[in-house]
Order: sequence, then C-alpha cells, then structure tokens
Amino acid sequence: MTDRKCVVWSFVGLAALAWGSATAAPPAMTWDKLPDWSGLWTMEGRIIFDNSGKDPHRQFPPLKPEYEAKYAKVVQDAINGKEFDPLTHCLPAGFPRVLAEPFLQEFVLRPEQVWWIHEQQNEIRRIYTDGRPHPPADELYPLWEGHSIGHWEGDTLVVDTISLREGIYDRTGAIHSDKAHVTERIRKIDANTIEDRIVVEDPVTLTKPWHVTKRYKKLSDPSLRIDHWACEEDNRAVFKNGTTDIVLPSDQGKKR
Amino acid sequence: MKPIWRDSFLLSGLLFAGLAFMGDTWAHHSFAMFDRNKEVTIKGTVKHFNYTNPHSWLDILVTDDKGQVKEWSFEMEGPSSLMRSGIKPGSLKPGEKITVKAWPLRDGRPAGAAINIIKEDGTVLDPRKGLRPPTS
Repeated sequence: MTDRKCVVWSFVGLAALAWGSATAAPPAMTWDKLPDWSGLWTMEGRIIFDNSGKDPHRQFPPLKPEYEAKYAKVVQDAINGKEFDPLTHCLPAGFPRVLAEPFLQEFVLRPEQVWWIHEQQNEIRRIYTDGRPHPPADELYPLWEGHSIGHWEGDTLVVDTISLREGIYDRTGAIHSDKAHVTERIRKIDANTIEDRIVVEDPVTLTKPWHVTKRYKKLSDPSLRIDHWACEEDNRAVFKNGTTDIVLPSDQGKKR
Repeated sequence: MKPIWRDSFLLSGLLFAGLAFMGDTWAHHSFAMFDRNKEVTIKGTVKHFNYTNPHSWLDILVTDDKGQVKEWSFEMEGPSSLMRSGIKPGSLKPGEKITVKAWPLRDGRPAGAAINIIKEDGTVLDPRKGLRPPTS
C-alpha cells in the first residue's frame, strides 16, 4: 500500500469510527438489568398537570399571550358553570394528560419496550427501547399517545415523545399543540415511589420549556387488579348548551 | 401578559370556588350539572343498579304522599372504584328499600350524584371510598 493510499484509508477508518460513535445506540437493556417497577400505582397529588404552583386550583404553564387568553376563557366559563371535558365523550385522555389522570396504573418492562398501562379507558403508552428512531416525518400523524422512543440510563428510563394531537393538559383546560415535544426521565426514587421528570416544549403555545415533576405511589394492597373499562357501555353524559349535562332514562329522546 | 384573575383577590376567590371541582372530582366528566352546594335525601325502592362504565347508575322508584311513583337516577363511580369501595354488583338489589343522599341536578330533574346510600339495616355505602386506594 502506498503512503497516499494508507492516509486515505486512515481517514476513511477514522470517519467511520466517528460516525459510529455519533450514531451508536445506547447499550441495549437486558432482562437481568431491568429495574423492578412491579405492582399497581396511582398518581400523587391533585388531578392537575403541575401541582407545584401555589394556587392548588390553577397551574401556570409558560403560555404565549393568545393561549393564556384561551385558558382564561375556559377558566372563566368554569366559574360561570359552563364546563366540558372531552373525556365526557369517552375520548382518551391522551398524552401528556394521561400523566395527570387518577385511578390505577401499572408498568410492564421488557428490554425492548415499556408499557405504561392506565386503568382509565385502558390507555396504554408504548415506549420503544429497542433503539428504533421515530418514524420518518412523512409517516407521522397526530396520535393520542404520540410516538414514544426511549432508552435506559442505569435505572432511569429516558423517553422522547412526538406526533401528539392538540389537547389539554388536564381538566383546567390549558392547551398544548400537536407540535408539543415531551421528554421524560422516569425512575423509582424509593421502594414505593416512581418519579417522572417531564419537560414539555411546544413552539406553538409555550414561550419556554415547561418543567413538571409527577410522582406515582405504590398501592399497599397487592390483591387489587385492573379491569377492562368500556367507557361507551352506559355513558349518560352529554354536551348541551355549552356545558356538560346528563340524559336520564325518563327523558324524551334519551340516548338509550 | 398577566391574566386578569392573578391580580384580583375577588376573582381568585371565585376561581377557587369554580375550579374546586376540577381538581377534586374524579369523574370522567365535569360536575357542572350537579349542585354541590345542595344535598337531597331521597327514599325509594331499587329499580335497577347499573354496574357500568364510565359511571354506575342507581335507578330508584319513589312514591309520593299521593301515591304517584317517580323514577330518580343517581350517578355513582364506575365499577373499578365501586368495587374498591366495597360496593359490589349485588349490593343493591331490585325491590330493596334504600335512602340516597345526593347532590341534585341543577335543572330540577329527578337525578343527582350519590353521596351515600343507606340500606334498610342501616348499612351506609360510600361510593367514593375506593377512588384513592391506600398507598404504601
């Protein structure tokens, strides 16, 4: 091999090494290294996305003025007795709102996927930890749970979620757009607590990233279980005259 | 831009009243149609106990002084929470005499959200007991 050829191949080799290290997937998780997140869990705190504010009935995402105004209207309507929540139509909470929903939850950990299962309406988040990327841009469309990929950094599950629907963070009605991008660092901080450190970035609605921490507590009764939740089987709630109403069996034109 | 209510003590009071439900009520819908400032106590006979999602409904027949029978309906939590409250599908049987304490509908129709149910033997059923199961 001539000197020149040697130099060229050295460059090629170095470039390949550099490319390899830049794109190398984190070490794959193995069964023996998965942490123990078994059991049933339920959210700590109130049914509000961010409990950290001083006002327990209101939260303060760094909303742009036009979205702050929209939020103000929803709050004012609630004060005036006009309230509506998409859950009323048995639509899913969706992500990231599902992080702020009550009832029971469980985590199923496999090396290549994590399933975060909610009792409410059987919602399941699938977090792919097998090293796959998000789907290509032309295959993305708004999803209730978005598309989540993750990897493990020790016992911390790091999750990246895109491809969300426009939605609300919780019943207080603050809005996020379908451009919201959510990153999470989820870990068990003690035997009975799983913590999720959340960062929401949304170029449409937020002026800066919103940092929120949520915690989930382990239920003390291991005999409890999650049953299927068929929300449409007897839903008597309706949207009427700008607010939530109930259809009774005795009403004319009743739903059922 | 600051929203107006952040600067107003009066409005924060209103906000507290208005949003108290949003944070506290674990229902799949808003509680706007129920009047949580009012309680009614209704005695009747169980017609049907619908142990269903997203909410269970207890339909009872109520006879007034003139012998007229009217149907009242009471919303309760869904099966998962009711089971954790110790209220099972067979806990309220058709024909059973019961007393229901409830937050009534604002519009006056014969329905409400059940606070508790007292059976003839005095047993009190609390449908909200299982909303938050004990944690370690």
